[in-house]
Amino acid sequence: MASSISDSAFLSAGEAPEPAQWLPRYGDELYRFALSRVSDSDTAEELVQTTLLNALDGLAKFRGEASERTWLFTILRRNIIDHYRREARHPTQSLDALTPDGPTEATFFEPENGHWRDAHYPEGWQTADAALEQADAREALRHCQERLPAQHKAVFTLRFVEELPAETICQELGVSAANYWVIIHRAKLQLRRCLEKFGLGRAG
Amino acid sequence: MALKISLSCQEATLLVEERADAPLPLKAAVALTVHLLYCPYCKRYAAQSSMVAQLALFAGQHTAGNAEITLPGAARTRIQQRLDAAQGGGGKPVPGGV
Repeated sequence: MASSISDSAFLSAGEAPEPAQWLPRYGDELYRFALSRVSDSDTAEELVQTTLLNALDGLAKFRGEASERTWLFTILRRNIIDHYRREARHPTQSLDALTPDGPTEATFFEPENGHWRDAHYPEGWQTADAALEQADAREALRHCQERLPAQHKAVFTLRFVEELPAETICQELGVSAANYWVIIHRAKLQLRRCLEKFGLGRAG
Repeated sequence: MALKISLSCQEATLLVEERADAPLPLKAAVALTVHLLYCPYCKRYAAQSSMVAQLALFAGQHTAGNAEITLPGAARTRIQQRLDAAQGGGGKPVPGGV
């Protein structure tokens, strides 16, 4: 029933949105989406609440060009970016500065020549593509993503889960292009290593 | 990034990340291809890095589309109260609402 309502939620121009129906119709869907982009349920609930309150404030601007549902999701996506902008800002660093937390290139590579350190040689993974869709792989990723410094988590999530273009992420988080690549590189090095320790590459 | 033909592993893995986003300039693309031919570790890194990206995408899609996940009741009640309060006149009074 809920799905048939949301499927037919394309309002014709001028049709009034129905705030009283937002939570029953879209609450679960908005919550799932938020939860897929942030790490904890409290933050996801907060995002749903902020989104619906923003929508209420912006009711006058809703012209029915998009469906009510699409409009609410647009606001939610905006709020997710804002959430990460706040998260990524280190308390004692300027916004563009690289976070002082977490591993750097020197953790993984010999500073003299840029070769992999012995302890960090990537192992061969036995992981088949299908294994990436398994629950334990998702669990491993969640565990490892949690351990990223806030700035890395923000950039990684916006790039690889929310799939925003690099330029948008740089603009939104106030990160230079050069630092963006350093962050992506460090985040991937760290996640790859953590997933390997978690057993992702082992044959199941 | 200096455009030289011989890359360190640190440089090569950074280029792997950049390559996933947009095609590299020719010189860098050649240098990376050569490096990946003789460096098994960076070759593994390249394959695994794209697996990590794929895993992140799958995991997000899985949660976003998982009908078993629902907005917890307590949050639903709280949010509805905030919405009612924000709509002002005619809305139900919110106990302890700010």
